Amino acid sequence: MKTVEKVVNPVRRAGEQSPGKIYNEKLKVRARREWRGVRDTFYDYTRWLYLMSVLGRFIVVPRNIKGFFRYRWMMSYLFVPHGMDKFTIGLRDEALRIAHTSFNFVIADVTQAIANCFRGDRRVGNDKAYSDKCVITDENSMVTFMMGFDTDKVHTILREVPTMFASNIFHQFNVMHYLDIAQQYGIPGDVCPMPEAEAGISIEDDFCVLGCCAVQNNTTCDGSLMGNGIIAKRLEREYGLPTFQLATPLRHKEPDVLDYAAREIKEAIAFVEKHTGEKWDWDVYFTAAKRVNDATRCRIAQMEINSTPYPQFFGAAFSLYNDTNYMGNSGRNADFVAKDHKLLALAQKGYEAKRMYAREYRHRCIVWGVQPQYCIDMLYWMVQCWGVMPLTDMLSVINTEMIAEVDTPENREQAYRDMAMLNMEMIMRNHTHGGYKVLVDELWELCEQMNADMVMMWEHMSCKALTGMHGQFEEQARARGIHIMWVSHDLCDPRVFTRQAIRDQVNSYMRTVLREEPLDPSLEIIPDNEAY
Amino acid sequence: MSKIAKIPLILLGIVLGFFVVTFIVYFFNLDMKATAMLEPILEKWYDRLEHNQYI
Repeated sequence: MKTVEKVVNPVRRAGEQSPGKIYNEKLKVRARREWRGVRDTFYDYTRWLYLMSVLGRFIVVPRNIKGFFRYRWMMSYLFVPHGMDKFTIGLRDEALRIAHTSFNFVIADVTQAIANCFRGDRRVGNDKAYSDKCVITDENSMVTFMMGFDTDKVHTILREVPTMFASNIFHQFNVMHYLDIAQQYGIPGDVCPMPEAEAGISIEDDFCVLGCCAVQNNTTCDGSLMGNGIIAKRLEREYGLPTFQLATPLRHKEPDVLDYAAREIKEAIAFVEKHTGEKWDWDVYFTAAKRVNDATRCRIAQMEINSTPYPQFFGAAFSLYNDTNYMGNSGRNADFVAKDHKLLALAQKGYEAKRMYAREYRHRCIVWGVQPQYCIDMLYWMVQCWGVMPLTDMLSVINTEMIAEVDTPENREQAYRDMAMLNMEMIMRNHTHGGYKVLVDELWELCEQMNADMVMMWEHMSCKALTGMHGQFEEQARARGIHIMWVSHDLCDPRVFTRQAIRDQVNSYMRTVLREEPLDPSLEIIPDNEAY
Repeated sequence: MSKIAKIPLILLGIVLGFFVVTFIVYFFNLDMKATAMLEPILEKWYDRLEHNQYI
């Protein structure tokens, strides 16, 4: 089997050594916050104050209070600080600052998204002039087709992000109510619970209703397609919102699909122009394209740092930040540029100082498959408990090509192809669809590139896209001498696999197959199944 | 001591008081513990709301 050199941390971590002590089975939250030494505890405290200020500024707006009491999913946002604590377990120094810088920014972005939803919502803010310039898109939709619209004139509302995706990060039981609603209406329980919960939210009439039109994307699976149909029906027939179906080719590595995909993008843009009354602006597009390229360069640099023995930006915060920046932003918001560079500077500083975030790194791991790591502190736990360093995850392995960023007649035509390429290779489509090469072969290339000796395969038991490849992964991992650790889960339905049931699969593999002992035994069993 | 000379001391006292109180809330996770107590009440509120369920 392939082995990597064990890296031992020569520096004793500041503050407490075993974060397992802060969990308490009688509480749904942590017993207390982690003691990280004076400097890092003070830093964490100041970021907690910042989060409190973000939440406070949001809730003092009367329409936001009205929205809070109207929508059940808003309850999750009371637990934002708890969610942040999940993503900083055991972290110190630069990694702590990176997690806060990235995730605090995502939280501020989501808070703004909720405020925007409530402003236009017919039941809450009912600002009609604002709503008439809003375009609703899917949670799993890449918003490249909005890159050329001035953000002051046309507003992109990814209303499923705050309603389902982000709310589930802070409260693991939050979407169970909506899953039950969907299943009461006969939706089968064996589809992915993410689109199923979105369908349940629509059935329950718990989405904000705003906008002049909507764009839906044929995203990734049977569940998404089913959910989109239910949601579109309500949008069009009940709320009178015309809904465009952006049909994106799934075999995105085939060159002959690009022309078709570019035509679809053109039609989506024409649809938005027609309903908003605003025109596509090439200056705005190419400014956004420059930002997309800049974000791509920063992400490649972060991956290069993670290829060394001293990874810095890792875990769920890495994935969530990339997800928000690449897919939800797509170069439209200039604030991401400064954050990208700040995060890169922090990572470079940590790398130069050879910072480590556990006593030792025993394994270098690629996290692959459909991942539930947002509602569980799994990736940080792996490092702290077993010394398994997650170098990157499947959803963060996205486009590395530069797109045209100079306004010329040729590049205007190329721009449609670039937007189509980004859209086809968006998160959750770029590896789960596109064939054998992107799902299986690219994993082994990545193991080589990042010097990984282990793959943690998230096996989402309701996801049909990956289960068919199980045997291929097993066979090829064996041939290459890569440890492959299967970890089953059911994404955002904790009734099927609890947090400890998920962790126990890693515990069993590490003890019985690799015959290793945990770095921190206080973390092997954590009483947090009932915690938010 | 003149009133003006006392202002920095009063400000310092306010800042220190704010720090001590908020740090205790932060470190002992009192914010989240209090929120967790609110959750069952909010659940009942949301359960009482009427919804136009439709598929």
